Amino acid sequence: MDQSRRITIIFKRNFLIMKVIVELYGATKDLSNKNFLEFKLKNKSSIKDIKFEILKLIDRKFKGNKNYKKIIKNSAFCSEDDNIISDNYIISKNQTIGIIPPIGGG
Amino acid sequence: MLHIKIINSKKEKIKIKRAENFLSSSKFGAIIYFIGTVRNINQNKKVTGITYDSKDSIVIKSFKKIYKEAKTKLKIKNNSVFIEHVKGYVPIKEKSIIIGVACAHRNEAYKLSRYIIEQIKKRTPIWKKEHYGNKKSSWLKGISIKK
Repeated sequence: MDQSRRITIIFKRNFLIMKVIVELYGATKDLSNKNFLEFKLKNKSSIKDIKFEILKLIDRKFKGNKNYKKIIKNSAFCSEDDNIISDNYIISKNQTIGIIPPIGGG
Repeated sequence: MLHIKIINSKKEKIKIKRAENFLSSSKFGAIIYFIGTVRNINQNKKVTGITYDSKDSIVIKSFKKIYKEAKTKLKIKNNSVFIEHVKGYVPIKEKSIIIGVACAHRNEAYKLSRYIIEQIKKRTPIWKKEHYGNKKSSWLKGISIKK
């Protein structure tokens, strides 16, 4: 195997791209008409990275709407097994996560 | 005993009769029903209805956890609890939640009922979108449960 091909393979291994689906609830449903958002992120990305991507989307599609940004900053996230996860939680495989904006039922 | 269910407003309604049937037992001397309904005014705006959204799997998990916690914290051994919360559109005057609590004595029943509704408000992932007379609508601000 030549040197450049070996470097390419190593590069791909280290920067594998994964697809992450973010299910939308409550006010975050206004961000899409599909009830979910889909991102392609580097392997081992964290919830912090997903938040950053959503904030970029708000800048791009909603002229940086301040209310939407505030909601994202105050939102929790949940894993596929329905646990609330912190901003440092690492998503290590192609996963569906849920965004939990501030709640208020009853 | 615990009954919990999310009611899809397109298919059915919350009915007190279901709670009565579930809670009926000669063991209990007190039954409390808390019923939440959609009111017509909020923050000086004329409300026509509310759309409730929920993350169902976590709602169910949360109801179970709140019930388990309440029994331990309040030290109420013999009880029956019936919780149903609606999902979807609910017009004014109609029910959005029912919490039926049956205990041996009234003091325990009041305490348990109050504890459950307050914890649901603080912890359970349910959201409200209010609809107004001018055909506008808006999601209500809530409480962050971010860790």
